[in-house]
Amino acid sequence: MIDPITFSIIRHRLFRVVDEAVITLKNVSGSAITNEGHDLMVSLYRADGSLLMGGVGFLHHLTSAAEACKSIIRRFRGDIHEGDVFLLNDPYTAALHTSDVYLVAPIHFKKELVAWSACFVHVYDIGATNPGGFCPDAENIYTEGFSSPGLRLVEKGEVNRAIMDTFLNMVRSPDMVALDLNSMIACNNVARKRMRSLIEKYGIETVDETCKTLITQSGEKLRARLRELPDGQWQSRQYLSVKDEIARVELTMTKRNDTLVFDFTGSSEQSRHAINCTKWASLGGLFAPLFPLLCYDITWNEGVIKPITMIAPPGTIVNCNRPAPVSVATVGAIQSVNNAACITIGKMLSASEKYASEATAVWHANHFAVFLFGQNQHHKQAIGILTETFAGAGGARTWADGIEVGGEIPNPISRMANIETIEYTFPIRYLFRRRLKDSGGPGRYRGGVGMELSFVPHDAPDGGMHYVVSGKGAKFPMSDGLAGGYPGSPNAYIWIKNNESKTADGHSHPIRLDAMSGEKQAVDWGVFPLMGNDALYVRWNGGGGYGDPLLRPDEEVCRDVEHGLVSPEFAENVYGVAIDDKTGRLDKKLTDKKRTDLLARRKRKNGGGHAAVTNP
Amino acid sequence: MRLSQTLDLDGTSIVCGHCGHGLCDKDVNWKEKAILNETPMRTLGDPYSTDEQVLLRVFSCPNCGALLDTETAMKDDPFLHDKIFT
Repeated sequence: MIDPITFSIIRHRLFRVVDEAVITLKNVSGSAITNEGHDLMVSLYRADGSLLMGGVGFLHHLTSAAEACKSIIRRFRGDIHEGDVFLLNDPYTAALHTSDVYLVAPIHFKKELVAWSACFVHVYDIGATNPGGFCPDAENIYTEGFSSPGLRLVEKGEVNRAIMDTFLNMVRSPDMVALDLNSMIACNNVARKRMRSLIEKYGIETVDETCKTLITQSGEKLRARLRELPDGQWQSRQYLSVKDEIARVELTMTKRNDTLVFDFTGSSEQSRHAINCTKWASLGGLFAPLFPLLCYDITWNEGVIKPITMIAPPGTIVNCNRPAPVSVATVGAIQSVNNAACITIGKMLSASEKYASEATAVWHANHFAVFLFGQNQHHKQAIGILTETFAGAGGARTWADGIEVGGEIPNPISRMANIETIEYTFPIRYLFRRRLKDSGGPGRYRGGVGMELSFVPHDAPDGGMHYVVSGKGAKFPMSDGLAGGYPGSPNAYIWIKNNESKTADGHSHPIRLDAMSGEKQAVDWGVFPLMGNDALYVRWNGGGGYGDPLLRPDEEVCRDVEHGLVSPEFAENVYGVAIDDKTGRLDKKLTDKKRTDLLARRKRKNGGGHAAVTNP
Repeated sequence: MRLSQTLDLDGTSIVCGHCGHGLCDKDVNWKEKAILNETPMRTLGDPYSTDEQVLLRVFSCPNCGALLDTETAMKDDPFLHDKIFT
């Protein structure tokens, strides 16, 4: 029996091991997607590969990296040595898509395998058809870049140069990819060193007993929490649109006693587009919201995985068969699984007086993966994602508005890069990047607003560059509301061709989409140029709302209008709050009438839940 | 007993959490008994400029008009069905 103080110290040391490894990863990496966007993950695993200490970053990797460790254990049984580091990125083995490369490392103590560390980053390039790894037009995984079910990149502390050089020979910008791999090797080295230091101080028996107890505790705590929640069944549905195809992720979540079953039966057949996800990706996708929403005060480890079952029929968009393309999975079906699980868990929490305050509408339901590539102003090949894709909007809670541009649940540490970083990396100039009016899902508590941005080529040796856009779901709002809250607005991607408009001073571009001249074409899937006087405009989703918009207090709607988060037209037609044109203040008399009319209208079938909004 | 933030269970009946109006037996999908307003999502204005086929379903209490739930849907897709086991 370990004394509680020692137990607590070791528990916190395990957290610190992960934290220090993350810092190492960020400091060594030279890629904005890692050290500014925080598209990363580090966690610790038991000797058998089961999750010991879930870290930060994209949470859908916690369970997939566990499977990566287990897969390496099976593949290299009897041939795993101190100082080894293994690479795995095959989505049909454990990973989410080929670009998210796992480096997993055994941790030995006195020649015994005692634990694993694992990390991932989205590498600069993976040698796929399109730079950056997202391949909108891939027909199968064979065109989605280098893919390995497991290889030994570092052998007993020495990098296998033949493997490293072969890998780097297959990717664009090999110097940057080498830095990605080195950052992960360094990360695992730090985790290994700190774990061994911990074991040396407290002894292997004490540390092992603590780890076992932590897992047991987590399982018991989650089961106890589930028993406090009502038994029931909750459903959600997500639509994904790609070109002319509309796919569905259907989820029925059933809670009985201390178990949860996530059943995706009824979801669409696997897509011909690269939005599919594999079984491991779906499992990770449902755990990403489950960890923070149900286990916010519980250590994330194997104990909280045991009570959960997933049913994902093979051949569907949530469990595709090889060789279906999956390179867009992380922003495709995985994100829809995140959203679907978030809303069913939110509904379950809402059914409990005790836990209703933990429920949330969907946050940032739709990443907008735009990868720029081409020669930059420094005459180097530049590839990279617009990290604004991580700057999602918060969903409304049962007690507060969603946070404007508040991030996302599956990655609590996600960030977007400074505009200066992006303009230094790519030959572009931003016209604007700002919060998007009317994008937050209406409700008693409003969803947080998303953003809009636009940029043009600038100082580009080749006259501009190209970009890959994997913008699935532009046809559908995906940030579902809760308890009557409306969804947040959807994404949009507009290519403005030959924008020659100027502002009144004649020097710069207008900073509004509707003031830009030139043909405007929606572009949400494929590779497109950004040359000469072209501009790219992107806007992205707001968070889901909570509760009835007609119950949002007048003054809060007025404040939203004053802050530019809601337009007067939206306030009047959806919230029923009228603003006096002349004074800019609340028109109380007209507001009372509007709200009475909207309520009466709602009581008539097909009267409409709101009045149509006509933007000026 | 609570079914959601907007609905309660009164014995074996699902009732509006706002006015107590009885909607249906607990085994029935209460949405069949609520007032449904189904409008194109794009009526919400510019940021919601979606296809005509994307609908916002608004379910309200037939008695007091309280907003009970919403769904993003396509025409003829079945209602989502949430239920509590008792």
